[in-house]
Amino acid sequence: MTAKPKIAFFDFAGCEGDQLQVANLEERLLDILGHVEVVNFREVATRSGQDYDIAFVEGSVTRPADEERLRQIRAQAKVLVALGACACIGGVNCLKNFMSENVYREEVYGPSARWYPTAPARPLKAVVKVDAEVPGCPVDAAEFARVVKEVLLGKAPWLPDWPVCVECKLAGNICRFEMGRMCLGIITRAGCGACCVTEGAHCWGCRGLVPGANLDSARIVLDRTGQDRKAVQDLLRFYLGDTAATL
Amino acid sequence: MTTTYTVFQEQLPDLFRKWSQEYALYVPASAGGGFFDLKPWREGLEVAWEYDVAYNPPKRFLLPPRETLVRYDLRKYTAEPVFEAPKQILFGLHPYDLKAVNQLDQLMEGGSPDQNYLRRREATVIMALDPLTVSPTAFWSSIGGDHVNHGFDLYWTKIGPASFLVAVGSPRGEELLRAAGELLPATAADREAARRAKLRAHALARSNSLKYNWEETPRVLGRSWDSPVWRKYAVMCLACGSCNLVCPTCYCFDIREEADDRLEQGERFRQWDGCMLESFALVAGNHNFRPKALDRYRHRYFRKGKYIYDKIGELGCVGCGRCVRACTAGIANPLTVFNELWEESGNEY
Repeated sequence: MTAKPKIAFFDFAGCEGDQLQVANLEERLLDILGHVEVVNFREVATRSGQDYDIAFVEGSVTRPADEERLRQIRAQAKVLVALGACACIGGVNCLKNFMSENVYREEVYGPSARWYPTAPARPLKAVVKVDAEVPGCPVDAAEFARVVKEVLLGKAPWLPDWPVCVECKLAGNICRFEMGRMCLGIITRAGCGACCVTEGAHCWGCRGLVPGANLDSARIVLDRTGQDRKAVQDLLRFYLGDTAATL
Repeated sequence: MTTTYTVFQEQLPDLFRKWSQEYALYVPASAGGGFFDLKPWREGLEVAWEYDVAYNPPKRFLLPPRETLVRYDLRKYTAEPVFEAPKQILFGLHPYDLKAVNQLDQLMEGGSPDQNYLRRREATVIMALDPLTVSPTAFWSSIGGDHVNHGFDLYWTKIGPASFLVAVGSPRGEELLRAAGELLPATAADREAARRAKLRAHALARSNSLKYNWEETPRVLGRSWDSPVWRKYAVMCLACGSCNLVCPTCYCFDIREEADDRLEQGERFRQWDGCMLESFALVAGNHNFRPKALDRYRHRYFRKGKYIYDKIGELGCVGCGRCVRACTAGIANPLTVFNELWEESGNEY
């Protein structure tokens, strides 16, 4: 048997919630980590190294300096896995892309804003090649485990390529649209088990657009709920700011 | 002649209690917001006698959304089939849903028999119930979904404020009914009351009807491959598969595998799939037999109106109207589509 692959976790602009989800696997994590050697995982270990094969990268690219750091990680890693909404689709950080730079710099850095250069928020794939993605805000721990196992078994990491509606039907949920509410499940990639709808909320789109999403139809369907355009726009921008979905 | 008994509502709590000791018992009940579904019976649960349609199709009890088929061991290179068949009673299925189950029975038994399905079906008791109300999107009356005379163990028809006529469909059903104690054979008057109750229910459903005899549907479709109707609706299709997944007769599934965290054992499972999903007809080499929404949309109607008919002589649509409701884009409506195709093709028989 070959040596265990070395894995490392890195984070850019984000809340580190995805690494926390991985840590939340608890006992399962120990089994999975039996197949790898962790050289860098701030959420669960103090040790840190720079010799790794698989890099799990969380967060979006929002500063000029991020690009160089991400390119270095890419150069070192054999496999780069984007972890979570910020890394995969830019996520909520992209809200700033719709604001004036002066406004958000002032808001975040206060009087010293001018010392902190910034740029529009983007997903990792806008800067480097990404080999696999574990989407979601935060990632689904079970899906993370599955993707890692697939990478370890040499299978192509698989993600559902259908919308969240499928998982609502599997769960037997009452459709939010039948309740007169908005929901982004119609254009969002499944894989979360429709957890937000199952718990009584609606889909926010955190897993990004499903391949082939029919955005023209989705806009009409959202409009037919009777919500005003601003409400639809806010919902579409919340996670999908870096996609073609936004109005 | 079918054996029929008269049963009173006051006997039901005791029957339900007794049945639920041996079976998982599901009855129609409120699902909130004006919706209904088959729910696990528990003491005190109010049966929704006047439910219009169960939100989820009954297939989920026979072909669960996700079902383990095989467990394997990566160290020993062994695999064992998995069969789960809990004893269950589906109480209160409307005739169109009963028809859907009868159809699944035929399709799952034909060709290579589906052992997982057949074993679940064998362990399932079906008690049908004549509807008292009709969902606004249903159209079962005009496509033969109102009269179903087989496939049930018991068939209940409400004939008075607190009484039912119960037709026996199997010895198993009659045995279960005997748990109520001495049975009262139905009188001729009760049977007549049941006949009239059925007629009332069927009349209710006639407001939504096919404009032609449903048996012409395969021929209407045969003339409609290049119809503009497909594009008109498919342009709005979100490819979400909702129409497939809520359909009581759609049974397609995908099979996948997942290993456990130690990478020592794993399971092969099947999960509901649908021909409206973009990757449904995707095969090795990245070829998709139905890459466009139009191809998939048309396929579904041909499946419902022609391909299934060619196999078993009835439509693959029972008129429950679930897809009409589930389609957020408002394009999944077999009644509208078939009627439009019929009008467009010159109303010829």
